[in-house]
Amino acid sequence: MSQNIKVVMAKLGLDIHWRGAVALTRLLRDQGMEVVYLGNQFPESIVRAAIQEGADVVGLSTLGGNHLTLGPRVVELLKKEGMEEVLVLMGGVIPPEDIPKLKEAGIAEVFGPESRIEDITAFIREKVA
Amino acid sequence: MDYSKLFDSKTLEKLKSVREKWEKETLKDKAGEETYYTESGIPIDILYTPEQLADLDYMSEIGFPGQPPFVRGVYPNMYRGRLFTLRQLSGFGGPEDCNERIKFLLDKGATGINIVFDLPTIRGYDSDDRRAEGNVGICGVAIDSLADMESLFDEIPLDELTSSVVTHLPSTTVVLLAMYTVMAEKRKIPLEKLGGTTQNDFLMETTIGSAPEIIPPDKSFKLQCDAIEYAAKNLPRWNPVSYNGYNLREAGTTAVQEVAIALANCIATTEELVKRGNNVDDFARRMSFFWDLCNDFFEEIAKCRASRLVYQEIMRERFKAQNTKSQLMRFHVQTAGNTLTAVEPLNNIARSAVQGLAAILGGCQSLHVDSYDEAYSAPTEEAALVSLRTQQILQVETNVVNTVDPLAGSYYVESLTREMARKIRDYIKTIEDRGGLIKAAESGWLHREISDFAYHQQKQVENGERKIVGVNYFVSEKKQESKIDVFRYPETEASQKDKLAKLKMERNRENHEKSLAVLREKCSSEENIMPYVKDAVEAYATLGEIQEVFREEFGLWQFPLV
Repeated sequence: MSQNIKVVMAKLGLDIHWRGAVALTRLLRDQGMEVVYLGNQFPESIVRAAIQEGADVVGLSTLGGNHLTLGPRVVELLKKEGMEEVLVLMGGVIPPEDIPKLKEAGIAEVFGPESRIEDITAFIREKVA
Repeated sequence: MDYSKLFDSKTLEKLKSVREKWEKETLKDKAGEETYYTESGIPIDILYTPEQLADLDYMSEIGFPGQPPFVRGVYPNMYRGRLFTLRQLSGFGGPEDCNERIKFLLDKGATGINIVFDLPTIRGYDSDDRRAEGNVGICGVAIDSLADMESLFDEIPLDELTSSVVTHLPSTTVVLLAMYTVMAEKRKIPLEKLGGTTQNDFLMETTIGSAPEIIPPDKSFKLQCDAIEYAAKNLPRWNPVSYNGYNLREAGTTAVQEVAIALANCIATTEELVKRGNNVDDFARRMSFFWDLCNDFFEEIAKCRASRLVYQEIMRERFKAQNTKSQLMRFHVQTAGNTLTAVEPLNNIARSAVQGLAAILGGCQSLHVDSYDEAYSAPTEEAALVSLRTQQILQVETNVVNTVDPLAGSYYVESLTREMARKIRDYIKTIEDRGGLIKAAESGWLHREISDFAYHQQKQVENGERKIVGVNYFVSEKKQESKIDVFRYPETEASQKDKLAKLKMERNRENHEKSLAVLREKCSSEENIMPYVKDAVEAYATLGEIQEVFREEFGLWQFPLV
């Protein structure tokens, strides 16, 4: 089951809107995952935390328009640390046409504002299993 | 017998017996199976009659518009005198780009300016700061220095139009307000003529918005009070604070908490300014508020009316304000971004129009109607125009603006107004029992209240208890792709960086260094910081440089996590 799935969740960079990230942190905990919420961090600190926590999943939340710059950087840094198996997910306000670019850059999936927790959970379980 | 009651006891007794008969014989068991509640949890009866208002005293509890207790509105003639200001937000790109959007909206009939800044500006980083990367000119306009502020307001008559400058944090408010006033001084516009609003809310710095680096709540609060005190003495037409219920609600509160927390901030601020030796009547008339109008139509209207009532009580009873202008609450409304969906985005036009109507029926002073593409990006020109047109349709086609407070006397709306007022007072007391708002922010209690709400509300969406059309209710079988255009931001980072490099070369180094050194020294004093920030701005110190002084002198605070 999912007891061992470990998620590191962060607000990306300067984005101030924490509602979704905090709600999702608690909802994923309800699903039995271990979720460490970092608050606002830049890619370097997010990756450092992912290493320290031995994360299976990194969740990045942004409604601030920095998804294309800072999102791919998290993937790059993880790769550099030999942690390319970590699943990187994004959520927030992200224009649909940017989603293919993010996926190309190695973001596994983008969950927009109306995503359901069961879909997010199912996706994580399938990929991390 | 009290003659100011609306209904005498004999009439009420008769009414009660008729109502009971009606329930038994006409309504029977058709009142519905479930119990219905408003968004903030007030039970809703199937029918409201004079019974629910049996003890209502019209003269003291409702009264007349333009008079205490201001439930019916802050001006006697309301929109017949002056329509609410059409204040649509502008903010993206560099100041030159945003200046064009401002002019576009004014050209199409907007009557006020409303500026939103990009995240680096909001959080006090220059465009060339590493931490600003990827965010310059996104979701708002980038402002680094006085020169940028001058480009933003190029050819805009500062003495004729009012500008809402959505500064969010006190620590950036003091800088941006200083830039605005120095700009006016350079244009030889008397400061008495400068009309506008800065948001300036320490909860935006420490509770509502999170960030990697945050100065402590008590310091942020001190700066908030400094800006208000400075404006009270120098800018008689400026609203130096807009107590921000809106973003509290967006982050996760009920309508009751939204108003109560903003009022608790107002109480703390008034106490502090009085403690500094100011007279309440010298600054209170320029304090303003900012509400978020969501979908529970009648509750939102009742909220607006109740907020005016409770504010009036606080200013009159607690702070002994003598001037009635100190007792009237003026507020701006923005329709609720959190109610807008990415699915079927055009549905958002309907949501926003209903919320905008509630704002008018609630007696707002200015209004921003959100655009349908909110869940994707900042609005395109087309979407911004639909919002402006929505306001104009409400103003000129619906005839709702031509009588004052038309829902007064509705048994339901009056009952809700009273109940909202009662709950707002109770929640203010809860905050004060915890040692006041600054303590509530410092301890993380307030953050927890908000995050609990956000979590529970999301659970209700997940389990379908909270219905959202197109999302979990009436979901289209075929997933509709969004057919709307999404706004693309103009390239801004490089041009802002170039301008900064040039500015740093050209400014007078000695003045610049000296002004920042004096500012640094004053950070540890009790003195009002504003004059020293103005000196620094005038010497072309950048927003980020001034903010760095604050961060170093005030220290950083750990934002509560979950």
